[in-house]
Amino acid sequence: MLSLLVALLLLLGSALAAGAAEPDQLARGKYVFGATGGCGCHTEPKGAVNAGGRKYDGPFGTVYSSNITPDPKTGIGSWTDEQIITAVRLGRRPNGERILPVHPFTSFNGMAEEDLTALVKFLRSVSPVNKPTPPKRITIPMFESVFLPAWLMTFASKETPPATAPVSGVARGEYLVRAVGHCSECHTPRSALTMALDTSRLLAGNTKKTGPEGQATPNLTPDKGTGLDWSEEQIVTYLQTGNRPDGDVAGGLMGEMIQGTAAGYKDMTKADLQAIARFLKSIPAVKNKID
Amino acid sequence: MIRRTTVHRRRILLLGLVAAMVSACTTGSAPRMVGTGNVVYDRQRLMKIQGAQWNEIQAKFKAGDIKGIAPNAEVEAVTSMQIPSLFPEGSLPSRSKAKPEIWERWGEFEATAKNMTIWSERLRDAAQANDEKAVADIMKDYGRVTCGACHTTFRQPQTQQ
Repeated sequence: MLSLLVALLLLLGSALAAGAAEPDQLARGKYVFGATGGCGCHTEPKGAVNAGGRKYDGPFGTVYSSNITPDPKTGIGSWTDEQIITAVRLGRRPNGERILPVHPFTSFNGMAEEDLTALVKFLRSVSPVNKPTPPKRITIPMFESVFLPAWLMTFASKETPPATAPVSGVARGEYLVRAVGHCSECHTPRSALTMALDTSRLLAGNTKKTGPEGQATPNLTPDKGTGLDWSEEQIVTYLQTGNRPDGDVAGGLMGEMIQGTAAGYKDMTKADLQAIARFLKSIPAVKNKID
Repeated sequence: MIRRTTVHRRRILLLGLVAAMVSACTTGSAPRMVGTGNVVYDRQRLMKIQGAQWNEIQAKFKAGDIKGIAPNAEVEAVTSMQIPSLFPEGSLPSRSKAKPEIWERWGEFEATAKNMTIWSERLRDAAQANDEKAVADIMKDYGRVTCGACHTTFRQPQTQQ
């Protein structure tokens, strides 16, 4: 009788502990979501959060971002946690189909398991939206069956996940920049021929030819003359508010990342933004003038 | 006969005036009040003034000069009222960073400019009242919801971003 009572108490205790952990996990998931820039590609301007449908034109054709709300029919509601994490990190749907690397899975591969688990909890908490994703139109023959796998094998440089997410200092900044914030996707130079990232020139900027959506992105390395000459405080202010030292305010894709959707860069803690600024100041200076 | 002609002329004039007003409303361009005649130059000049004001506001806030923010916020409010009139339909020479979405989504564009006026007036009033907390709350979001909202949707990204 006594052992039954003890067992019941233990069970109740663990249930309470699990219930208490849930809001923390959810808050952490929302924070991670914000640190990715709010997964804005999955939300149309003024549209429902995460309901997808944003058009992306690439050299291979046209694709639309997926509905990642928990809707079971048109979203990810019927996927397991493991399947969602696989899609985020490895770019594979539950049916094995490849997700095009417009989704930055090679960067997200560097996210710690605990952050991905929390992120999934948050994604499941967003209101489900029944909205089918428009079908993609690939114009290059054998693109998905031959060229994409070959490109991924030859040119895609995947980030490596840490055992646990770094909690402070330059290591934290590096983790946020390279994996979660996926800054390299736009700011690390790409080869005009293969579109592969040149990681030897990390965050040295892109010209219009290789930049996202035909836009140039600045050199974020601390190179004098061609890089980012802002102070750490100015970098923090920019990521938190969009305010540039010259009085201008961020726009375009960067404006979207800062603003986010349910959350964005603006919602990150000052400590994390300082870690990012410190990391940016610590990377090798690369001379690369972007006009 | 002379009187009838005059009445007729007046009617035509009145109709012309109404037509001009209706046209101004429906073609999505607000009547322009001041300027040099070079609308792109004028609007770029206005944005530079707004950027300089915003820089001053931030500097004053850092220095604790809350009341001093009010005149700058008033300039932001007044200049933001001019924005729609500086974007006549199709004014898109190569040196302009404006996007065609401005005229495709004119109502939204106008509302974004109006929102800047509202936020600037709120900032001005809070500064005049020397309410540091209210000023801080507004300033936390001001750049993104006023200038940033327009830059994100209606301006070509700057390389320096």
